[in-house]
Amino acid sequence: MFGIDRRLLQNFDWMLLLLVVAIVGVGIINLASATHVDGALTGEVRRQLVSLGIGGIAMLLVLAIDYRHYERFATPALFVCIALLVTTLVFAPVTRGSQSWLFGGRLQSSELAKLGLVIALARYFHRNPPGEIRRLRELARPGLIAVVPVGLIVMQRDMGVALLTLLIASTYLALTRISWRSWIGVAVVGVATLITLWVFVLQPYQQRRILDVIDPGRDPLSSGYQAIQSRIAIGSGGLLGTGYRAGTQTQLRFLPTQHTDFAFSVLAEEWGFVGSCAVLSLYLTLMLWGLRVARNSKDGFGAMLAVGLVGTIFWPLVLNIGMVLGLAPVIGVPLPLFSYGGSALVTSLVGLALLMNVSMRRYVF
Amino acid sequence: MPIEEIGIGRLAAGVDSSIVNRLIFIAVVIVLTFVVFVLRLFQLQVIEGEDLGNRARRNSVRTVYLEAPRGDIVDRFGRELATTRPAFGVHVMPAEMRERELTFAALGSLLDRDAGELAQRVGAPTGRRRFQPVRIAEDLPYGSRIRVESHLYALPGVFTDVSPRRYYVGGSLAAHVLGYTGEIQVAQLEKRAFADYRSGDVIGQAGVESRFESTLRGRAGGRNVVVDVAGRVDEVLDEVEATPGGTVVLTIDRDLQRAAEEAFLPDVIGGDEKRGAVVVLDPRNGDVLALVSRPTFDPNSFAGGIDSATWKELTASEGRPIQNRALAGQYPPGSTYKAFVAAAGLEEGAIDPEDRVFCPGTFKYGRRTYRCWKRGGHGSVNLHEALARSCDVFFYQLGLKLGIDRMAFFSNGFHLGRKTGIALGTEAPGIVPTEAWKVRRFGEVWMKGETISASIGQGYNLTTPLQLAVAYAAIANGGTVFKPRILLRQVGPDGIVQQGPEPESLGRVPVSPEHLAIITRALEAVVHEVGGTGGRARIPGVRVAGKTGTAQVIRLEATEHLEEEEIPFQFRDHGWFAAFAPVEAPEIVVVALSEHGGHGGSAAGPIVKAVLSRYFKASMPDEPPSPPGPLDAPDPLDPPKPAEEAAQVVRN
Repeated sequence: MFGIDRRLLQNFDWMLLLLVVAIVGVGIINLASATHVDGALTGEVRRQLVSLGIGGIAMLLVLAIDYRHYERFATPALFVCIALLVTTLVFAPVTRGSQSWLFGGRLQSSELAKLGLVIALARYFHRNPPGEIRRLRELARPGLIAVVPVGLIVMQRDMGVALLTLLIASTYLALTRISWRSWIGVAVVGVATLITLWVFVLQPYQQRRILDVIDPGRDPLSSGYQAIQSRIAIGSGGLLGTGYRAGTQTQLRFLPTQHTDFAFSVLAEEWGFVGSCAVLSLYLTLMLWGLRVARNSKDGFGAMLAVGLVGTIFWPLVLNIGMVLGLAPVIGVPLPLFSYGGSALVTSLVGLALLMNVSMRRYVF
Repeated sequence: MPIEEIGIGRLAAGVDSSIVNRLIFIAVVIVLTFVVFVLRLFQLQVIEGEDLGNRARRNSVRTVYLEAPRGDIVDRFGRELATTRPAFGVHVMPAEMRERELTFAALGSLLDRDAGELAQRVGAPTGRRRFQPVRIAEDLPYGSRIRVESHLYALPGVFTDVSPRRYYVGGSLAAHVLGYTGEIQVAQLEKRAFADYRSGDVIGQAGVESRFESTLRGRAGGRNVVVDVAGRVDEVLDEVEATPGGTVVLTIDRDLQRAAEEAFLPDVIGGDEKRGAVVVLDPRNGDVLALVSRPTFDPNSFAGGIDSATWKELTASEGRPIQNRALAGQYPPGSTYKAFVAAAGLEEGAIDPEDRVFCPGTFKYGRRTYRCWKRGGHGSVNLHEALARSCDVFFYQLGLKLGIDRMAFFSNGFHLGRKTGIALGTEAPGIVPTEAWKVRRFGEVWMKGETISASIGQGYNLTTPLQLAVAYAAIANGGTVFKPRILLRQVGPDGIVQQGPEPESLGRVPVSPEHLAIITRALEAVVHEVGGTGGRARIPGVRVAGKTGTAQVIRLEATEHLEEEEIPFQFRDHGWFAAFAPVEAPEIVVVALSEHGGHGGSAAGPIVKAVLSRYFKASMPDEPPSPPGPLDAPDPLDPPKPAEEAAQVVRN
């Protein structure tokens, strides 16, 4: 199982690795600018490099084992993830209104849960090909697989991650053959239920509380300010950018959380339209490449896994870039592979290692 | 890579062809998403880029956090107790300063401060800290503010701002009711209840300020402004106004509160300023009309963050001014307790109103002799006279007849020994001892001699002034124990009125109205009859009922041979006076405690009188200072006032 097959090396997906290295590299260079103080290497950069190292080792371990073995462990792995989420809920202290950090803040259990969920769903859809799913009720079981971890994340009051996890799971819906009419029906019933609940059941103070949870930034000082500052930063980048470490918005710390959620604004200010488009095209290539891996994979599990993993990159990217560009509400979702944050970086790298795993074993039987 | 190259065989083994179509669909969605992103980037960076870029180059959109003015706290008639006033602060942004030396020298002379000290305070920060304003003055008087503002043009990097600041109109007036505000503490920030607070926010830390924080706080706003190099506002981009906090209307009557507080000042009682507490209730509904704890403090000194020296002084000082004695101070009720023992005796049939007891001045029980406070004895007294003259021997015997547990049952019926549940700060429960209680607490059997002490409110009995006021209110209103109420209503910033809690009954006392009437008649005699111990609370034209009490701090023998002035302060007795008026239809209950003040009649009586006088708007007649006598000495009685004066009394 651990033997290095020469064919594996031959078939290794260097393109995928190159894309990942490029994005992470630009991310770290950007982080150094976003956090730099008087030219010194900051603690954030150092920690991110350490996380990168850990992520690299994790990638090697993930790559060494044929991905088909993961299928067997999909169910136990999901249960471990659920157990971790429950543990976090019970033991972890509350920080900033949501509790999602375990082990002294080193591990965000909801990050791990996203991967566990993708593997479990990939296994399910491998055994029940989505191409044969035509009716809504057939989604009951995979829906249950997704709802449990999402529910637990909701209980941690981490609405951003809960939404994200739900969106990632929903990637698989694109593969089913449920008719458009069914979806419209679902939408109508869902919206009607929500409106009924809102108008007739919830008290005004409950409504306010829900709004506060869904959008903690109703306070103009956080969301309004962040949106304005982000727009100014991006706009001031212009076509070619202000140059590395020369963005006034960035260097003067006008941007809030500029090394995490608003990392892309820093990039946009300092590298301009050209730089932003370059990085976006790296992401675009990465995802299309991931879909190609899905198509070329030698079995259904590999294909399903690849689709789910593309989802784990696509959705946070949409939410983050949408937020940074002022197209989506301010939800604290970091940009995968790019934003500062060890837990997220390591899990993203592990996810991509899985993708490479599927890719390089496409000819191995 | 075209599909044909992959090989049909592999497709059959792996991915079925329908999925491939779906993958293409996903790819199209992804590509379209990116097209949207790129178009948006183009719009922001290339089309609007120049404009936004200029804005950034002026470097200078700043968000000003608009603190919400805290809501007012007003008394029952809408008179301000706590409000908010503007405070002018001066800040320095190190990055924008030119000519440091000159700037600090100028600031020093403008603010009457040492330039070196200012320079030291700002320091020479590097990196991002250069862009963080440093506050060098936070609450400038008007004159200095004008001077600074007129020189701002010459002082780049210096700017002023206005922030709301808590202002307690009456200084220390009602400090223990209002509480105080302060910056939110680190430990509080971590609590979920304070999730929407940020560090540096002002929050109620005690009293009404803390209890009704959610109403008073309001909602902060923000203003995004473009500032020029000197920090002057160039353009306001957008603004969300702060929503001021709502008004909290208390049951307090400011005038009564002031009268009750001033009663502790030397010119009312004589001697030094006294320590103690006053609780004034409306017996008809439990409204707290005044609540005093002395010594007190000025909550204004907390409003801008208190320095540690002042805080230390307040908390460590021997008089403990921060403690709310009215709620948290526990004292033996002394003779004020006799009213409840009398009620128990009547209700249990242990005594008939006409039964007489002979008081020779002492009472022998076992090998011990218990004294009456009146060394010569009261002679033959019935219940009425025994309460009026506060005869200890009478109550020793009654207490023994009842036993400690029956006394406790009735005390509990008056809600003694339990927290009243007032919506204000930390409350002490007091102690009503029983046989079981002593076993639980000390693992010892109850002694009969302890029953004797308990029957005059000594021994283990402990009461807070608030509890005693609630209990006397129940006597006054015919038997209903009301939960003391502090909140009348809340008025939101939008004018929406939210009524406070309805008067809440905590139960009825287990004593019939007839028996309460007997007690009330005796309590009236305390104040109005010859030989009564409470003559000092008499005011013209109003029938006042009351009871004096003198709570021993240490045993009688240790100090009885001493004159009051000779007793060390901390060993002097606490003086109580509990009263209500007018007897025919009580509207007001006043309980005063003078800590280590000596005898109830002389130490606490004048306080009660001052409050009642204010309430009934009668002028206080001059009275000759009476010499301190032995325990509960009856006062020289004032002659009854003429009838026409009584007719002029205006009720509030």
